[in-house]
Amino acid sequence: MLAIEYFEVECPEPVGAEYYRQITNDVLLDHNLLRVIHKIHIYIDPKVPIFVAVGILKKITTRVRVGDFANVNPLEGKITLVISDETYLAPMLKIFWQKFGKDHVEQPDRFTVILYDVKAELKEIEEIIVADPSESLYKDLIYAFRCIAPEGFRLRSEKFSKEKFSFVASENTLTENIDEIVREKFALMGEVP
Amino acid sequence: MTLVPITYKGGIYQHDIVTDLIEDLGGYIIQKHVIAAEVVLQCFVPRDDIKLIRQISKPLFGEVTDTPLVGTEIAIVSMSLEIHHLPHPSCDIAEYVRRIGAKSNMVSLARGPGKRIAGLNDEERDVINEHDIAVYLMGNFETCIEYKMPTLRRGIEVPIVLCGGPDKETLKKIIDPPVDGYVGNVGRFMRRTKEADEIGKLDEIVDEITRVLEKKREEIQKDPLSVSPARLMGLIKEKVPAIHGVTSPTPLTVQMAGLRVKLPYDMFAGDLRKIEIEDGITLGDISEVVPSRMRDYILIKILPFSETNMVV
Repeated sequence: MLAIEYFEVECPEPVGAEYYRQITNDVLLDHNLLRVIHKIHIYIDPKVPIFVAVGILKKITTRVRVGDFANVNPLEGKITLVISDETYLAPMLKIFWQKFGKDHVEQPDRFTVILYDVKAELKEIEEIIVADPSESLYKDLIYAFRCIAPEGFRLRSEKFSKEKFSFVASENTLTENIDEIVREKFALMGEVP
Repeated sequence: MTLVPITYKGGIYQHDIVTDLIEDLGGYIIQKHVIAAEVVLQCFVPRDDIKLIRQISKPLFGEVTDTPLVGTEIAIVSMSLEIHHLPHPSCDIAEYVRRIGAKSNMVSLARGPGKRIAGLNDEERDVINEHDIAVYLMGNFETCIEYKMPTLRRGIEVPIVLCGGPDKETLKKIIDPPVDGYVGNVGRFMRRTKEADEIGKLDEIVDEITRVLEKKREEIQKDPLSVSPARLMGLIKEKVPAIHGVTSPTPLTVQMAGLRVKLPYDMFAGDLRKIEIEDGITLGDISEVVPSRMRDYILIKILPFSETNMVV
């Protein structure tokens, strides 16, 4: 929980608030999202009923390059890559096939990829961008908040930008003043939407 | 002779000595699990003979424990099948009561979640009513529980144990008319129950279920059943060979006042009714054989003495 600077759950029922604090923590931890959230404020009113989550995101640059997870060794006309983390192996192979052709790429075992007759510099290969996990970040965040929000709150209004997000859910039609509520909750954190 | 539910756990070697002993004493084996080299027997035995079973199973390193929920079928009513309620806490609780000998079924409601939108349809109601007890797993907010409980309990005739996020006193205060049991501080949570206090909560649920079922057992004792469900089980096993071909883990599920037979109703109900129990008394004379709402199973409801005027 230390990773988040501001973390509050507001609810007219104190017991419910404590449970939802626990649920939020568990879900964000499970989805590995604590590292991207800087501030978060959750407001639940079961009487209305409404669930509001607003927050500030951390700036993360998480582009994964070949050099981050593979050791690139040029040797006698071929380049051997020793992979330390298999997570990005599949997207890397796909890029290599596209770039160099399948004839030039060989994978003798799980942790080794060999490139034959490739006209590329060592540095160039190390710098190839394989994946950008922040692309799926919004999808993950929305999924996580759907898990946190009480079930049955199926009418939602979500706004996710690079820095801020708001998530409003209810089982009834959302009233027109939700923007106002969102603004209020941002103000509690000392921010503006 | 009072039969009490126990569980025997021991090695597979010579366990038939215990099986024969239980049968000779007039007890019944409800379920037998063979797991690798271990055997677990869930059975009903005469109260006075438990000591003897302990004595005889001692050289075999067998262990006899009281498991009050043996011979009961429990409905764990979860508000939905979504990630919000499964696998925690619904599966945790359903699995935990199984360890104490109960046969638990999870009943997930099609429109259980939410506050205003929560509802219970006739199929769900009938399925819940086929069990001995229903354990309702509610959420964390008292406002929602208070609002939706009257809808969710409509038509439910079996005892209800209510679990919810608010504490026990609050639950008692908001539920009107009262249900049979309450367990507070068990609402929705998103992690596995493995800490000591969480296991303590599961124990509390089991205690509450046991207390409510004991009360139901006492009620049944006042007007005893015409035949013991366990005896009926043995009889069906003997006389309906088709039951041995059923691959379900419990082809015959013993309940407190009945039996669920996992055979198609249309094909077997007639045969079941004709089974002779003793001196020309058939199963049809002392029980109602009805179709279950669960798949095409058969449900046998044993009638009490006051209706049949006989006990076999």
